[in-house]
Amino acid sequence: MSNPVTIIMIEDDEGHARLIERNIRRSGVNNEIVPFTNGTEAVNYLFGKDGTAAERKGHALLILLDLNLPDMTGIDILKRVKENKYLKSTPVVVLTTTDDSQEIKRCYELGCNVYITKPVNYESFANAIRQLGLFFSVIQVPPASP
Amino acid sequence: MTPVSRRRSALQILLLSVGFVVLVAISVASVLLVNKARKDNAWVVHTVEVEGQIASLLVEIRRAESATRAYLLTSAPQHLAEYQSAATGIPPALDHLAKITTDNPTQVANSQRLKIAIDRRLSELARDIDRAKNNDVADSIADLRSTSSTDAVAAIARIGTDMRTEENRLFTMRTATADQTQVLASSVTIAGSCMVLALAGFSIVLLRRSSRARDEAEARLRDSYVNLEATVDERTADLREANEEIQRFAYIVSHDLRSPLVNIMGFTSELEELRGDIFKRIATLNRATSLAPAMPDDATDTAEPELEGSDKQLSDDFNESLGFIKSSIAKMDRLITAILNLTREGRREFKAERIDVQELIDGIVKTVAHQAAESSTTIEIGSLPDLISDRLALEQIFSNLIDNALKYLRDGVPGEISINGRTKLGFAIFDISDNGRGIDPKDHQRIFDLFRRAGTQDKPGQGIGLAHVRALVRRLGGTMSVASELHNGSTFTITLPINWTGRNRDKAS
Repeated sequence: MSNPVTIIMIEDDEGHARLIERNIRRSGVNNEIVPFTNGTEAVNYLFGKDGTAAERKGHALLILLDLNLPDMTGIDILKRVKENKYLKSTPVVVLTTTDDSQEIKRCYELGCNVYITKPVNYESFANAIRQLGLFFSVIQVPPASP
Repeated sequence: MTPVSRRRSALQILLLSVGFVVLVAISVASVLLVNKARKDNAWVVHTVEVEGQIASLLVEIRRAESATRAYLLTSAPQHLAEYQSAATGIPPALDHLAKITTDNPTQVANSQRLKIAIDRRLSELARDIDRAKNNDVADSIADLRSTSSTDAVAAIARIGTDMRTEENRLFTMRTATADQTQVLASSVTIAGSCMVLALAGFSIVLLRRSSRARDEAEARLRDSYVNLEATVDERTADLREANEEIQRFAYIVSHDLRSPLVNIMGFTSELEELRGDIFKRIATLNRATSLAPAMPDDATDTAEPELEGSDKQLSDDFNESLGFIKSSIAKMDRLITAILNLTREGRREFKAERIDVQELIDGIVKTVAHQAAESSTTIEIGSLPDLISDRLALEQIFSNLIDNALKYLRDGVPGEISINGRTKLGFAIFDISDNGRGIDPKDHQRIFDLFRRAGTQDKPGQGIGLAHVRALVRRLGGTMSVASELHNGSTFTITLPINWTGRNRDKAS
């Protein structure tokens, strides 16, 4: 992935986080991955203390988002990201266990860029994440709007 | 019916019968009494007649006497004629009197005595007349003067008086009896009428009381009906809420169970890869210690090194454990997916629309045509009634049942599946029959339970299809049943409302 794109991984299950990270690394992506295990910390990081996300200005980010978080739903985060003037162009990949068609539709309507259901079958899971890593390695990510 | 009202109606029937009995008794008594009164009156009339007869007899005797005396004085022939007419009239009159007084022994005796006295007097008169005819008037007058003639006259007068007295006594007695009978008749009538009136009054009171009780009961019934409706609505709302809660619960639980499952599966697979590395390294080390540089170094990376003895055993045990873990995870995943699908199906809004069932089933049969051809199964579709219902639900119901019929055929017997329909009282009834392996009657309930199956377990499946089908049929306001025995085919019968409005069972208000 062309330079300093940071991958923000918001995933409450540490096991999932580890598996995702391993498989992304296996696909040859070496970008920094910043993991968060709950929504509040992730939101604090993304939007800064003032909540405007001005701190992230000029950073190139890619968000990996789980929908089932202990303190809030990923949909809220998605909504805030896509409504923020600095972050709205940041690609968001929703990676979750939910395969409900209503949920998928809602995420795309809110501006999510990719929606992936975590397969229980590990072959499929590893495969999906590796392909996602390959996708990351070719994707062009714009820096957060100045 | 409450005991009170039962007692009340029994009482009314009793009253009616009592009234009827009283009426009958009064009628009978009246008829008897009227008859008796007529008889009594006849006796009174009879007495009067007897008295009249006695009086006219005495008058006749007087006439005969006065005619005799007149003849003795004047010897005029008209007096003789008068005497003769009087004398000839007396015996029949006397006989008549004797006849009509036969009922009374006193009067019989009296009339006999009277007859003797009158006969003596008549013979005296006849002797006088004869003497007068022979111009022997003086003797006759002497006779008149003698006491003998007055004896007879006195006797007649006395007996006559006796008879009259007797008749007067009878008259008084009989009149009294007749009066008594009449008084009795009228009092019976009055008493009976009073009783009937009293009974009627009592009935009216009872009737009014029971009609009031009925009105009250009606009001209570109306009240309880209203209450019942409210209660039913309340309960329905509660049930619906509970059902929704269960659905939500099932959804959340199954959903959240998936997350740890991904980890278990993921790290198990990671372990599997590690296992490969570990055993490869063990093999390499073993070989290195036993026959030092027997093999070129570059070969170890590509070819799987051979394990020996206890190491091989260890590796196989490891594999076996991993295999069990992985197959269990896969099974758990299938179950969770099934529950998720079921709850999702339960939350789906049904939409009522007109459905050409024939066409729908034709479509399903086409999709299974390949499977059917493989097992040389023929599928026969009878004429099927159209419905207003939910299309997707119907598709799932029929395709599940047809799939099952195809899946559980008897080995080596060409399948015969038939689908027939009929309508009855606003319901459409569909029969899906096959000649397959059948279901033991003891399993008829079990097959509809979630995750439960029956018979030989030689086909893949989770035990979800029929549970799902029954849930759908129920949501569509219908029922389903199975008729089957082992080795003899099965018939699944589905009853669905022809015109489902989307309100049956599911969402009442």
